[in-house]
Amino acid sequence: MFANYKEYFKIAARNLKSRSLRSWLTIFGIVIGVFLIITLLSLSEGIKETISRQLMSLGGNMVFVMPGDESNPMAGMMYGGEKLEKEDLDAIERTPGVQDVLPFSYSSVNTRFNEENKSLTIEALPIREGLGILQKLQGWSLMDGRWPETGRNEVVAGNRYIKKDIFKEKVMVGDEFYIKGRKFTVTGIMNPLSAKDDDAAVFMDIALYQDLTGEKIGTARMAMVSISEDYNTNAVAEDIKENLKKNQKRQLGSDSDTINFAVITSEKIQSITGGVLGVIQFVILAFASIAILVGGIGITNTMYTSVRERTREIGIMKSIGATNETIMAIFLFEASIIGFAGGIGGTVLGLLIAWIVQIYGQANPLFYFTASFSPWIIIFGLSFSFFVGCLAGILPARQAAKLRPIDALRKYE
Amino acid sequence: MEALIKLENVWKIYALGKTEVQSLRGIDLEIESGDFVTIMGPSGSGKSTLLNMIGLLDIPTKGRLLLKNKDVTKFTESELSRLRGKTIGFVFQEFHLLNHLKAWENVELPMIFQGVAAGPRFRRAKELLESVGMGHRAEHQLAELSIGERQRVAIARAFVNDPELVIADEPTGNLDSINGKKVMEILTEFHEKLNRTLLVVTHDPNVGAYGHKKIFIKDGRLVDETTAFGRKITSN
Repeated sequence: MFANYKEYFKIAARNLKSRSLRSWLTIFGIVIGVFLIITLLSLSEGIKETISRQLMSLGGNMVFVMPGDESNPMAGMMYGGEKLEKEDLDAIERTPGVQDVLPFSYSSVNTRFNEENKSLTIEALPIREGLGILQKLQGWSLMDGRWPETGRNEVVAGNRYIKKDIFKEKVMVGDEFYIKGRKFTVTGIMNPLSAKDDDAAVFMDIALYQDLTGEKIGTARMAMVSISEDYNTNAVAEDIKENLKKNQKRQLGSDSDTINFAVITSEKIQSITGGVLGVIQFVILAFASIAILVGGIGITNTMYTSVRERTREIGIMKSIGATNETIMAIFLFEASIIGFAGGIGGTVLGLLIAWIVQIYGQANPLFYFTASFSPWIIIFGLSFSFFVGCLAGILPARQAAKLRPIDALRKYE
Repeated sequence: MEALIKLENVWKIYALGKTEVQSLRGIDLEIESGDFVTIMGPSGSGKSTLLNMIGLLDIPTKGRLLLKNKDVTKFTESELSRLRGKTIGFVFQEFHLLNHLKAWENVELPMIFQGVAAGPRFRRAKELLESVGMGHRAEHQLAELSIGERQRVAIARAFVNDPELVIADEPTGNLDSINGKKVMEILTEFHEKLNRTLLVVTHDPNVGAYGHKKIFIKDGRLVDETTAFGRKITSN
């Protein structure tokens, strides 16, 4: 019985070979669909892994307090809005479990370098006090030079300043920037950071920044909070929120139960980014599935044509003892061979393209990421195309099986 | 001797648009095991329809058809296919071989459906091709064979499962007289050597003459020779 199916498989393969151009074209239809799925999946999966690796570097025990609504923390960062007052920062610091609070401000400021004016993002932090956390959790390190001294007009520049894509001239240690007309010395160049925007920023001490920009001393746009390892990060985040709320009521006499700040753990940021990527992947999968579906319709079409052309052949096989099930099996094998061959071709091509994109991405740090070549993607690609092939073959195979030998033979008399 | 095939009042009626075509009108016939029967009749007489019934390629509209005492009109299509594959071999006027296969692959095909293993299949196909004088052409593609050679391959295929009944539908219809004679000689030889039942449908009196038993059909009814053709056409 089983051995017989092996024979039917051979017959099916032989049939495909005897019409090889059409078989290959149909296979090619599946290859395109599978290749799309495999490339897009392994790239998006790779991006997801890269991002989550970068987010991991934030550390699990960090909390971010930023202006805006919790469900949409990015918007708050973009459009500014509320600021953390000194009392707010104190309230955060008072919360049990909080180790360090790093106030963080940033804005676009006009800067002149070598007679060239640019609006640059200045990021302000207590560099000296927070250096430990920044190095450990944000991955800060210097490529060249030293960190700025507190109280001096000194800054460090992001990694992109050594290229010529911000200023026409390359910035080096010891160069001078005129920020808001005041002279600053560049004491160091940073190594690349995980967020590419940060590589285009200039970093200075927050006290210096507030003196320069007139921002109220002791306030901040947002705060990075490190949590003691003995405490549960989520619980501390809740406590911080409560404290901010209480403080807001006392300070402003507000009755509102909501605060204008989002208190977010690094875990939450990960889940938000993961969610966004999940949606992207779903969309990719949906579109690529449509491509495979179209390939499947191609298989059905080819198989129907083949049934019509081979009416006589089916009649012959039935007259010499092939049952309906035999004919059905042969035609289903043909369809699934097409599907599976397309799956293999598409998977190989898809992985190859993903690999090429990855090499390009690694050569160009703007797109730095690695593609994911997980076996699940391959298994998915192969089994999905095989399944589509079988499904596409069912109707034509049934039509072939149902042909009566007498009708099938008579057609050619 | 017990009848291999027994037809009892077999009718076949086709609907052709709104009119009915009565292709067979109450045929009663017995064919005994080991017989060599020729069925003759003018074209449109229903002889091919009768052959299709006996070959289990078609089922009667009315009446009973017994193969080895079993009423096959009640069989499902798959049961008919299995029975056909095991007990009946066909030789067609148009050969009905598969063009993309080699000679021996055509001969082996019926054995695949019977679940015969590859080794015995190959040897049996070769053996059969030898016995029809085609051993040296076994590896040839069908397209490389002459018309006469193709019909001999078809005969090898018909006998390959050692069927109890071999049905030949105008086996010489597409052949010249020399090849036609050769084909009939091979069929006769097989019949004598294997003692299998042989049923040949023809309109050619020379072919009909080979039969040990001759049946004449006209307008869907079994008749005598003179009624069928208006005169005696066979000599013996």
